[in-house]
Amino acid sequence: MKERFNKQEELLNAFDGIRPAEVPPFFYTRLKVRMENELEDRKEPFFLLRPVFLTASLSFLLIVNVFFLIQLYSGQHGSSIKQKNNRATIESFSDAYSLNTQSLYE
Amino acid sequence: MSEQELVEQLRHGDEEAFKELVNHFQQKVFNTALGFLQNQHDAEDAAQEVFIQVYNSINQFKANATLSTWIYRITITKCLDHLRNKKRKKRFAFISSLFSEKNDLLHDAPDFEHPGVQMDRKENAAMLFRLVNTLPESQKTAFLLNKIELLSYAEVGEIMKISESAVDSLLQRAKQNLRKKINSQ
Repeated sequence: MKERFNKQEELLNAFDGIRPAEVPPFFYTRLKVRMENELEDRKEPFFLLRPVFLTASLSFLLIVNVFFLIQLYSGQHGSSIKQKNNRATIESFSDAYSLNTQSLYE
Repeated sequence: MSEQELVEQLRHGDEEAFKELVNHFQQKVFNTALGFLQNQHDAEDAAQEVFIQVYNSINQFKANATLSTWIYRITITKCLDHLRNKKRKKRFAFISSLFSEKNDLLHDAPDFEHPGVQMDRKENAAMLFRLVNTLPESQKTAFLLNKIELLSYAEVGEIMKISESAVDSLLQRAKQNLRKKINSQ
């Protein structure tokens, strides 16, 4: 029992008299290199890759697309009305001159 | 150069002041990190991160604590973050190994041998380091600061922002847990 207790205490006191570990050589030099690299990475990217520029270009493209889609839709809508008008004019012309097929048998 | 002057020069980005700060604190930072991380490479990595943070956030340093206390706090935070990341990676590696076709086995790192431990205590110290790893974070912090960095209860309390009696309580509980673990082995 006593032996066990001694062993336990011996293990718990294993850090007694510990000396501080030596810092690896060239610690400061390596630290400086790392700091410079991190600073380099943090530098602003080429202006075409900046988020502001990218967002602005994407928004512009989106607006242009929406504009042309609206144009296209209104164009199609307008042409269908025109087609209807054209058909109406032809029908009224044929009516006026009795050119429909029924009139031949009258 | 006084601490206040050093801080003032650091705030102005003086490289010489930074070099002096590193020379003055590198041993403390590295030794603390080594106690927590138990790996030379990880400890150096964490020590570098500590000094980078000190350099970047020197303006946040308030004179209500000493520079040493502030740097110790940063060191402990960095070390605990490192350990949490390591645990997370280990867990992820375990889960991915369950689903991967390769039958990779996960191995624990071999026992750590602190270079400052006396020759006749190397074996016991390695075992104690392994057991300390299983302690809760606060007990581990108090134990390592007191036993490895040889800081007084007052200094440990200041770093951990707790009273001296709380430090004593943490150390007693740490020893109690360690005894239980030793007995169960």
